[in-house]
Amino acid sequence: MRIAALAVMTVCYLACAFFLFRKHVHIFQLNSYKPEVQKGWIKENIESLLLRSVWALAAVFPARELGDWGCFPAGVLFLVVLFLNLPKKAKKPLVVTARVKRLGATYFILCLIPVLFALFAPEGEAFGALLMSFALVGTPWLILGANSLNRPVEKGIDRHYINDAKRILSRYPELKIIGVTGSYGKTSVKFFLEKLLSVEYNVLVTPKNYNTTLGVVRTVRENLRPTHEVFVCEMGARNVGDIKEICDLVHPQWGVITAIGPQHLESFRSIANVVKTKFELADALPPDGVFFGNMDSEEIRNRKVSVQTVGYGTLRGDYRAEDIRCDEHGLRFTLRGVEFETKLLGRHNVQNLVGALAVANTLGIPLEKLKAPVRQLQSVEHRQQLRGSGDRLIIDDAYNSNPAGALAALETLGLFEGCKILVTPGMVELGEKQTELNTELGRQAAKVCDYAVLVGKKQSVPLRAGLTEAGFPAEKITVADTVEAAIRAADGFDTGGRRRVILLENDLPDNY
Amino acid sequence: MKITVGLFFGGRSVEHEVSVISALQALKSFDKEKYDVLPIYITREQQFFTGEAVGKIEEYRDIPALLKKATRVQPLREGDRVLVLPYGRFGLKSKALAALDVAFPVVHGTNVEDGALQGYFRTLGIPFAGSDVAGSAIGMDKYAQKLLYAAAGLPVLPALRFRAGEEREEMARRMEEKLGFPLIVKPLDLGSSVGIRLVKSPEELPEALDEAFSFSDRILAEKAVQPLRELNCAVLGDADEAIASECEEPVMGDEILSYRDKYEGGGKGAKTGGSKGMSGLKRLLPAPISREMREEVQELALRAFRALDLSGVARIDFLMNAETGKLYVNEVNTCPGSLAFYLWESTGVSYAKLLDKMVSLALKRERRRGSFLSAIDTGILKNYAPGGVKGTKG
Repeated sequence: MRIAALAVMTVCYLACAFFLFRKHVHIFQLNSYKPEVQKGWIKENIESLLLRSVWALAAVFPARELGDWGCFPAGVLFLVVLFLNLPKKAKKPLVVTARVKRLGATYFILCLIPVLFALFAPEGEAFGALLMSFALVGTPWLILGANSLNRPVEKGIDRHYINDAKRILSRYPELKIIGVTGSYGKTSVKFFLEKLLSVEYNVLVTPKNYNTTLGVVRTVRENLRPTHEVFVCEMGARNVGDIKEICDLVHPQWGVITAIGPQHLESFRSIANVVKTKFELADALPPDGVFFGNMDSEEIRNRKVSVQTVGYGTLRGDYRAEDIRCDEHGLRFTLRGVEFETKLLGRHNVQNLVGALAVANTLGIPLEKLKAPVRQLQSVEHRQQLRGSGDRLIIDDAYNSNPAGALAALETLGLFEGCKILVTPGMVELGEKQTELNTELGRQAAKVCDYAVLVGKKQSVPLRAGLTEAGFPAEKITVADTVEAAIRAADGFDTGGRRRVILLENDLPDNY
Repeated sequence: MKITVGLFFGGRSVEHEVSVISALQALKSFDKEKYDVLPIYITREQQFFTGEAVGKIEEYRDIPALLKKATRVQPLREGDRVLVLPYGRFGLKSKALAALDVAFPVVHGTNVEDGALQGYFRTLGIPFAGSDVAGSAIGMDKYAQKLLYAAAGLPVLPALRFRAGEEREEMARRMEEKLGFPLIVKPLDLGSSVGIRLVKSPEELPEALDEAFSFSDRILAEKAVQPLRELNCAVLGDADEAIASECEEPVMGDEILSYRDKYEGGGKGAKTGGSKGMSGLKRLLPAPISREMREEVQELALRAFRALDLSGVARIDFLMNAETGKLYVNEVNTCPGSLAFYLWESTGVSYAKLLDKMVSLALKRERRRGSFLSAIDTGILKNYAPGGVKGTKG
């Protein structure tokens, strides 16, 4: 009887631990496995966490007081906690990588300690139950502990992959390597470069958002082929030194900096740090390398670079776009006498295009040959991507908003005829400036939109403030809890027979 | 890192042996600094073999012995690469001999040059040198290509197409009416002048038809040019840009150039010319024609190449009336014997350079194809309810 109860309690405990682990490791993954960020999240959400787990602590009472079958109700309590922590449908679901499995293994070993006590200590059930409940409630911190314990192994594995990538790259001495970085616009420029350079060359680019050191390592190890002639490597950064790390791996010969902005200010702490980090790319170029800089940006313009520089932009530079026209069908501009047309939306995309054209032209492709590929360019997913048709259009600008991009998206929205609806949770990771920048976004939105749907009660406070300040009628502001609900609301507004045009500005992942 | 090229040759074709010769010539000429070439021999039984012996021409004197020394393999797509897997006694082994970056077919004739092998590479998903499926298929259809040449405004001889089941008398009547004698009878979809006959009068027709129909179900009857001179010109490139080679004039043994002439003799009864393939045939290179004639041939060749949307290297064969000097586009060879390398040497394009350009073109076509949307998720399967009257295209 005692054994049976003990066994039941243990099984319930392990099952509960499994779900708690799953939930918290998912958040950890979304936080890029950064302990500091995770601790911040735990602090933010401590009440809801405890509400869902603290009941386990009561398990010690039946285990101690109710004799032989006392462990049954203890097990039931664990099951209750399990049900309070079932996985919910997530925007970015958990990806069970090898790293997740390694964390799971270490966590599991730690979880076994209470079980050992329960089995072997004299009168161990009560003490075991107590320890089990501690383990369950303490899962968030246990995972951080497991992460620390695993650190030497993870570092070793990373090192192995990084060295493998270095070895592979050394076998490609002819490969032309172009680094692309910037606070925003780098993914767009990368994809444009892929299309344009493909007119003449076999091009490899880092896929999707693989712009970290390990993402680049994976691209080199899995996708690089002997037939490739050019490698366009997108380089992302959250901290000083991130770009240098990638440059030490790939050794780019050419570099492009697309923009400087207040992205990831929480980790960078200052714009000066952002500039310093992006320019780690320029500093890494060899003496015969070429640096391409967006001259519309003051910070990029003012920074001295020792290698040959090619400036581009809409205001000044070796490659300057003129006669720029934007409307709801796309963009048009003239570069060095050649007219370009594209289906892409957003004035800022002119800068991105000119940057890509500058690189392609410098690599020997005549501008005339680039007209056709520019016309064929499709929007990059979730970056002012036009979707829908007829009476219902959506400008999907869901990916990682930045202030300049958000304002550009509003400008684009303004170009469309119809009932204009803004759907947004506001911008994040802007550090101290976050409130100010969101308020400004609200003020600008008031000039363009007919309706505004804000996502997230807490998140949207500065937006509402900005809208109201600019005289936007309060009854046209709606607040929704999720993006899905917001879109439903947007679909419900009376457009007065006009076409419905919804701008989806920034869609935050689940850890917000 | 060297690019790994899978050199495919042989196949279940009448010109199987010629293809072996062409391919092994090519094998010797690849730039070994840039390319790792793996020779893959396709037997008449449609099995793939590789190994060191497969790359040596002497070994083909005794093919059964060669196959015992060679390794049987199977190309397999894995992830985004095509692996060459060895076939052991118990089936495919899991450790690949090589991963191919590009396929290079050097094949002649039906089942291989006509788009079949090209289609196989498309299905496998590997870039391949030479013309694409459509170009290769039309290049082997003597009648269909005529229509495209004519539509492009190129000079062609009037012709009629016949199937084996049709009435012979009707065929003879139509030929007499529309074409007149002398005429040429030949199978529609073979290469290398197999089964081709000059018919000077109606009496000679039945035997000529019998011979042609013994090779194929479909034949072509075409007005003969007399007196005849033949001119060949090769083209290298694709639809965007292409260059024409030097012109040659193949010299005939019989009244028309036959298979025997091309591959079995360098002269009367001589056997040695044969193993050199097209390059061993007696030829006048450069062709003894005026500069204007040469330019005209080159221009027509480029236009014919473009009309069929070809790629890589192709040889366009012309017929010329020796008296009037009028030129006619005869037919194209989308994979010419010896890859027509001998036509390029005098223009400064070495064999190695020719092969390198063909690989470049293959990779260029692949990247272009990769940049287009090839699938749209319409959700048809999600909403499919069997038993609907309208079908799925709606």
